[in-house]
Amino acid sequence: MHQRLSRRSFLELTGLAGLGAAVAGCSSGPPAGAATWAMWSSSAAEKKVWEDFSKYVEQQLKVKSVPTLTPSNGYPTKLDLQLVSGTAGLVTAINGTLIPTYAARGAHRPLDDLIEADPDFDLDDFYQPSRRISSFNQKTYAIGFDVAPTVMYYNKTLLQKAGVDLPSRTEPMSWATFRDLAIELTKPPDQYGFTCAPAIDDLVSWIYCAGGNVMNDQATRSTLGDPEAMEALQFVIDLFVKDKVTPPIKNLVSESSSSNFMQGNVAFMQNGPWQVVNIRKAKFDWDVIPFPAGAVGSTPRVSGSSFAIPSGVREGADLDLAWKLLKTLTSTGALDIYAKAGRNNPARLSAGSAFQPPPDNLGIVQQILAGKIAGGHAFDVTTNWNQVKQLLGQDLPRTFLGQVTVADAIAGLTPRLDVLMRQHQDNIRQATARKG
Amino acid sequence: MAVDTVSAPTATAPPHPASKPTPRWRNRESMTAWLFILPSLIGFLVFTAGPVVAAGVISLLDWNLFSSPTWAGLSNFARLGPDPTFWSALGNTAYFTFLSVPLTILVSLLLALLLNQGLHRIAVFRSLLLLPYATITVAVAFVWIWLYIPHDGLVNAVLGVFGITGPAWLISDNWAMPALVVMSVWKSFGFGMVVFLAGLQAIPQQLYEAARVDGSSAWQSFRNVTLPMLSPALFFVIVTSIIGSFQVFDQALIMTNGGPGTRTTTLVMYIYRTGFENYDQGYAAAQSLVLFAFIVVITAAQFLMQRRLVHYDN
Repeated sequence: MHQRLSRRSFLELTGLAGLGAAVAGCSSGPPAGAATWAMWSSSAAEKKVWEDFSKYVEQQLKVKSVPTLTPSNGYPTKLDLQLVSGTAGLVTAINGTLIPTYAARGAHRPLDDLIEADPDFDLDDFYQPSRRISSFNQKTYAIGFDVAPTVMYYNKTLLQKAGVDLPSRTEPMSWATFRDLAIELTKPPDQYGFTCAPAIDDLVSWIYCAGGNVMNDQATRSTLGDPEAMEALQFVIDLFVKDKVTPPIKNLVSESSSSNFMQGNVAFMQNGPWQVVNIRKAKFDWDVIPFPAGAVGSTPRVSGSSFAIPSGVREGADLDLAWKLLKTLTSTGALDIYAKAGRNNPARLSAGSAFQPPPDNLGIVQQILAGKIAGGHAFDVTTNWNQVKQLLGQDLPRTFLGQVTVADAIAGLTPRLDVLMRQHQDNIRQATARKG
Repeated sequence: MAVDTVSAPTATAPPHPASKPTPRWRNRESMTAWLFILPSLIGFLVFTAGPVVAAGVISLLDWNLFSSPTWAGLSNFARLGPDPTFWSALGNTAYFTFLSVPLTILVSLLLALLLNQGLHRIAVFRSLLLLPYATITVAVAFVWIWLYIPHDGLVNAVLGVFGITGPAWLISDNWAMPALVVMSVWKSFGFGMVVFLAGLQAIPQQLYEAARVDGSSAWQSFRNVTLPMLSPALFFVIVTSIIGSFQVFDQALIMTNGGPGTRTTTLVMYIYRTGFENYDQGYAAAQSLVLFAFIVVITAAQFLMQRRLVHYDN
């Protein structure tokens, strides 16, 4: 039997339904005792890896695993809001360059007490650069899950077609040889010798190889104006502006070295092994070799990412679960899943064998990290690295366009970088005072 | 002299307790009205007024988001003076506004006048022209990045047909901001066009007929009939366009990331970076209050001017 619904009843019901939905929305969250963790994920393949991680966590810990996956470009902002609002997971992934930033502000807790109290946890199984990247102020704030040096990708097909001998698989070529090759292989607008991102993240590898750095060892002043760093900057900028061996820059924001390389008409690309998974789709033969050696050898940037525990996690059962979760997410079993999927080189030595070819020469990544061939330099960053990067990102790209000379750009940048170094020192002092 | 027949209750006729007037806010009509505006009022208080007050408080603190804030007094405002990036961002925002608002209004008005001519299938044209406004800025920005590619982009290809070598738009010191302005005008003219079209269609035809009888030319009709009658719509579009332009953010972030150098770093972009990338919440709040003050002053000036320039037909 039909009953007419009055307008008042309809409005009342709608209101109640809305209230119910709001209450349900507010109360929904992970079940108590769940292993919650946060990670970035920007593709279906990446998502699949983290889902496999989640299953692995559930098998190992016998609790529900609740990962929060966020696209990588929005991840830091979301993580900040979660940390501030106390809704972050028990464990959060962090890019290595941001570990000092979060640690200095007390966003994550030091792990030394947990490591010391756990005889099962073997920190020595992690590559030294990963441990360095995950530390701040002589304390361990995170445990790495991937770590890798920058390498040089090359288009085997293109080199063979040009009749150029393939470069040594283990011996880094000199900068002069690399430049000559890049010039020889450049035939604009159809073919180019080299591609890299017009940004400090890529420039820094050349700077390290020349014996320079963005700042001094104590991070009290900028050293970009020192002769070693200047030599490196000038060398790379000349490849763009003078030698013109790189594809023309179309847009500073969307310029992508991997997109350029995938076109198949670029001989060399500077990038990390984290791009292997994407370059495997290339329709030409390619491989990786050690980074070209400068004055102090082949010591390009070594970077990585880690898992950390937010300082808001309460002592007791929550912290116990957080530590177990962090250990599981960085265990050999979990990192095997990560490496087998080809995402990047795992941070643990014991999981290294899972990061397999193609390309044929992928094994050099672990040999470089183990110090057997060439070398690497952990990415030195400050507690205000976002600001440093932002400042360098404003003025350095103009040198790639030939709008400003390297000397002028660095002269303009140095005083402002020195101010940021003083801020960094203040951050360290405040963190030390907070016992952070 | 008119006699007031509804006199106030006198001492001789005290009001009955039952007839005591209900306070206005408690009567049924007022309650209903409050109920209707309540969702909007709550939204305004929580998402607009609340954050403005919070920004005022935060601007007086030194707060890195994660640890406890400390009192900073007015020091965050004092930092604005010697900060070259802040002034550069303010200048860029003013430059963007100065270029984009007149251009947007001009394009919107011209298209509205065109659509008001009673063209065949006008609804189709109206919908098509409104599409850019209805499309999200992120998508539009990516399309325009492609259009602006120096060598193979459509913009330079078209210029090439006329023998003009176009610049590398988004990486040029001089052309990056104008390139953003052109994209923004294309993106936002639809809104003004619809408002102007509504305004044009509300102008009584007899005014034009009277002007014709008086021998007015088309330009004189436009100058003396259309513009005055359209002035409320024009005022509304100018005010909202200026406020929107001062808050420009997403297109600059996606298309140029503030570069080259700081040539397209806008104030809102700088505020976002200060607050959420550099974790300097107090300084970001101080900057946002200065931006708020600028917008309030400019809008207030416009409201003062409208008394002389805007014609309301009531």
